[in-house]
Amino acid sequence: MPKQPNTALLQIAGKTSGALIELNNVTKQYANQPVAAVQNFSMTAQPGELIMFVGPSGCGKTTTMKMINRIIEPTSGSISIDGRDVLSLDPSELRRHIGYVIQQIGLFPHMTIAENIGVVPKLLNWSKEKTSSRVDELLSTVGLEPGDFAHRYPKQLSGGQQQRVGVARALAADPPVMLMDEPFGATDPITREKLQAEFLRLQASIGKTIIFVTHDFDEAVRLGDRIAVLSNRSQIEQFDTPANILSNPANDYVSSFIGLGTAIKRLVLIPVTAARLGPANAAASGGPKVRTTDSLRDALDSLVLSGLPALAVVDELNKAVGSISVDQISGVLGAEVPVLSPTAEA
Amino acid sequence: MVFPTATSAVPTVLRRKARRSDEIWSAKRFLTPTLVLLVLVVLFLWLSSLTLDSIELRTLNLDYIVARVREHLGLTVVASALVAVLAIPTGILLSRTRSRVLKAIVLGIANVGQATPAVGVIILLAIIWQTGYLTALVGLVVYSFLPVLRNTMIGLQQVDENVRESAFGMGMTQNQVLLRIELPLAVPVILAGLRTSLVFCVGVATIATFINAGGLGDMIVNGLKLQRYPVLVTGAVLVACIALLIDWVAATAEDVLRPRGT
Amino acid sequence: MTLDLNGLLTFWARRWDDILELLGEHLAVVAVALVIAMVIGVGVGMLVWDKPLPRSAVITAAGVALTIPSLALLALLIPAVGLGWTPTVIALVMYSLLPIVRNTVVGLREVSPAIMESAMGMGMTPFTVLVRVQLPMAWPIILTGVRVAAQLTIGVAAIAAYVAGPGLGQFIFQGLSSLGSKNALNFALTGTLGVVLLALVVDAAFVAITRSTTSRGLRA
Repeated sequence: MPKQPNTALLQIAGKTSGALIELNNVTKQYANQPVAAVQNFSMTAQPGELIMFVGPSGCGKTTTMKMINRIIEPTSGSISIDGRDVLSLDPSELRRHIGYVIQQIGLFPHMTIAENIGVVPKLLNWSKEKTSSRVDELLSTVGLEPGDFAHRYPKQLSGGQQQRVGVARALAADPPVMLMDEPFGATDPITREKLQAEFLRLQASIGKTIIFVTHDFDEAVRLGDRIAVLSNRSQIEQFDTPANILSNPANDYVSSFIGLGTAIKRLVLIPVTAARLGPANAAASGGPKVRTTDSLRDALDSLVLSGLPALAVVDELNKAVGSISVDQISGVLGAEVPVLSPTAEA
Repeated sequence: MVFPTATSAVPTVLRRKARRSDEIWSAKRFLTPTLVLLVLVVLFLWLSSLTLDSIELRTLNLDYIVARVREHLGLTVVASALVAVLAIPTGILLSRTRSRVLKAIVLGIANVGQATPAVGVIILLAIIWQTGYLTALVGLVVYSFLPVLRNTMIGLQQVDENVRESAFGMGMTQNQVLLRIELPLAVPVILAGLRTSLVFCVGVATIATFINAGGLGDMIVNGLKLQRYPVLVTGAVLVACIALLIDWVAATAEDVLRPRGT
Repeated sequence: MTLDLNGLLTFWARRWDDILELLGEHLAVVAVALVIAMVIGVGVGMLVWDKPLPRSAVITAAGVALTIPSLALLALLIPAVGLGWTPTVIALVMYSLLPIVRNTVVGLREVSPAIMESAMGMGMTPFTVLVRVQLPMAWPIILTGVRVAAQLTIGVAAIAAYVAGPGLGQFIFQGLSSLGSKNALNFALTGTLGVVLLALVVDAAFVAITRSTTSRGLRA
């Protein structure tokens, strides 16, 4: 294949923090199937946005995502990153500039952790020194001590550690775009929550444009800047912020997908400071404390677990600024959502 | 031949840095060479205790035995090298093709081939072509081609689909995935095929005596024909020892060349 | 020498009785060897499956036997037991042991600890668990071992004709000894094809046997 300087590719590669992704009327039709797997999918992801694709298994969300790095070739439609047509680029070279994480991780068992992370830098002909310092930097970023982990093999790591390496490997060449397919799906609930929290902190500092596929609506609410709720053939039922979807589901499909406990789920998104706090002296001394940076969900957890009527709320300096009780949490929901169920209207 | 084994059920010991050399060169590793040495010593002592007649002396001397061992090893090694050079690339090419029909045909032929007796192949070749070294070589190659071909295809196929997808997802080309991911991960299976084929070759080379291609089979056949059991036993024991040693060398190579981390 | 198809057909027609007899002998010697090997192999497997040292010793020994070239093994047996059926059966049994013992051990070990525990919990003794639970569950794997052994021994039995053993190998060696005559190819080809045919038929039979003797609950 003649190698010509590909300006479009360089343009994408030159970016390290988020790029604009546009999908326009993207369709995937498999030859031996009567209906399309993905039909006329259009969406724009802003630079630095974390977009969640959420839907039941088989709805086409993964197929849609995999067309962005052309692991699956679209039948028709256009996909662009920062205005450059993805479908006209060499697929292998394109993929070197798109981070990719799958649920099964797919670490190469015959390579050390350092070698796994260094695969894309090697494909891009980075120098040895640059690659190895990047590997150390990334291992630290995902919370693995480089001296301890760089020369281990994947099977010597726990599932959670392997998943961290998977994320580090995807970030190796500092791509502007990341595609993540249920990356935390195979881990146990406690590890998953930890990975999610770490991932949010990481994304806050790197600001990639991320397409994140999940079937777990709670995960979508917790992580996403915007959520696309998808149904069969990857049809977008609603595409909005988590708060808006929770308070205003577009239709019955979205409501049923959100499931029960909408109010509790929404609490994750609301900071403690949104509540009208009670006087600081209302809280019994000695009980657990709630931070101003916590969500109302955290506050509710602490209330239920401690069994106390009210808990102290403290700021970063550990100074009490007020107290919070179940009534005050309900007050926030009541103010935001006048009606939760039709029967309450009467 | 592929037997189900229990190795996957053995839990992997997590160690910071696996001492591979210690694992590979454990005391158990030297069991086979020790056994072979012991058998050879016993054979030598037994032969020394006998009074050999002139017929026996004609074959039970160092020059004759070294010449037969040379022929035997030569046939085995040349045939195995040819098989490696021919069967591994063929296996890679076949696993690249998308045609399921072609793959099914090849594996079908491989299965029938496995059912064909080596002695039949060798003797048929001698009848329709000629007797001698070249015929034996062709027979050996034809016969041990299949395990290597099959193991190459299986080795490439068994690479975890997720690992393959990751490799493509990171921007490797077809050839890079083959060279950096699939082939290294297939090495243990391919080597197991080569090991099977080597042991086959030692055995089939014994039969080469039937078509005047030399080797240690000569000693067995002569000993039997002339009713000289020391000759027969010496030939048989030497062949058995060579087979065990070659299997041992191949097994050791398998462990040394197995990619780290797997 | 090239193949004369008419000549081959005439050859078959004329020697039909011999061919059938050799085919029968071949099948018989393999069957006898397999039965003996199964009794020994499964028995030994049941004795050693949960004892690491004897287990690895038995499997190593069986592996050594399988590595020894067949002509050498047959030859070594002659001074001890003479020519004919005896060395043939002994050699075939020795070759069959590795696949049968190994698969027995693997099959018995593969039964999940949960199942073993619940069997013990119901009051079965270790021996009852072995016979009533583990053996039936390991059966398909053991039979696979026997099937591999069958393929192996059908081929080896062809060489046994050289030590006056029974079976189709006799035709193959007759072809060799009549090298140059017009019937050489007919003899060798008939013997070889007969062995291939027998191997394929026996293999198909094993598929059927495995299916019909495996508990319905274990079938995939």
